[in-house]
Amino acid sequence: MATKPPIPVKIVIAGGFGVGKTTTVGAISDIAPLTTEAEMTEVAVGIDIPGQHSTKTTTTVAMDFGSVTIDSGVKLYLFGTPGQARFGFMWDDLSRGALGALVVVDSSRLDDCYPAVDYFEHTGVPFIVGVNAFDGLLAQDLSAVRWALAIDDQVPVVAFDARDRRSVRDTLLVLLNRALHKAIGESGGRSVEADASAPLGR
Amino acid sequence: MTTPPTGGYRPDEPMSIRPYLQTPSVQYEPASGQPDDLAGPGGSPKLRPFVLTAGRVDATDPEIGLETQVTAQSRGGRVPTSRLLPELRAIVTMCHEPISVAEISARLKLHLGVVKILVGDLRATGHLDVHSRDVATPNTPELILRVIRGLSAIT
Repeated sequence: MATKPPIPVKIVIAGGFGVGKTTTVGAISDIAPLTTEAEMTEVAVGIDIPGQHSTKTTTTVAMDFGSVTIDSGVKLYLFGTPGQARFGFMWDDLSRGALGALVVVDSSRLDDCYPAVDYFEHTGVPFIVGVNAFDGLLAQDLSAVRWALAIDDQVPVVAFDARDRRSVRDTLLVLLNRALHKAIGESGGRSVEADASAPLGR
Repeated sequence: MTTPPTGGYRPDEPMSIRPYLQTPSVQYEPASGQPDDLAGPGGSPKLRPFVLTAGRVDATDPEIGLETQVTAQSRGGRVPTSRLLPELRAIVTMCHEPISVAEISARLKLHLGVVKILVGDLRATGHLDVHSRDVATPNTPELILRVIRGLSAIT
């Protein structure tokens, strides 16, 4: 006889390759991060050979994830996802129903995270930017990161250490507070417009 | 047909039936493997994912998300679990405790899209309960507060 399943909630950990998404997941997860592979339609825009039209192909993307038992009835899943714009189709699936998204940024390679920031701005998923301070050092200060990303003043930009459990916890709490403010604002009046399934560039 | 093991799913143990089917313990390596290389690591044929789904690639129920919890039906399905394909039987066995679709995919090393289709099939045959949340329901402030409290307790 199966026990009663927990309410699953999820947070998306987005960002470019090698910025520390899996490290972030592993630092806070109760379980060693697992990997799942998803087939998806790849819309190759801007990465094709110049002069060719964009093409659609199917590709396989690996996604790392972990989970945190919140209490006896709620389980939090953390999904790390590649940050490239061409993986947008997976993001629809991922961000549907998500509490929010943490966009992990390497301050020396900011352009890696533009697609993720764009995506969450368009879909209305609450997000914050977490600058992974490799060895405690930031290549740019946080105000410079905010300026370069041209994000709304209300979107928090924080520095954190992806290897440190408490640092990751505190960063996720910043995100959850942002999500909470948004949820309170939305529950008092108009219906929710944050349609996470809204296609981007379909 | 021999009686399959009734205990937990053991990825390393070869299935005693359908020897022509590869067990799910074999990793699919679509990124590195040649597309037409049908031989698995042991030289045995690799079961292509679309064989399991009978060719379906996009029949996914939008209610089945990555984090959606799945449990085995205590009454069992219309077909005895022992007569299911090894991959399907493995899924049912894993679901005796609530488990997410993503975890099934990771632990059986089956593509996410394939698992979603198979989970939908197993729900239709009465083997599994899929505890989908209404995707249109936003996360309530109460639920978010609950997550904040739980996460804050982590040291």
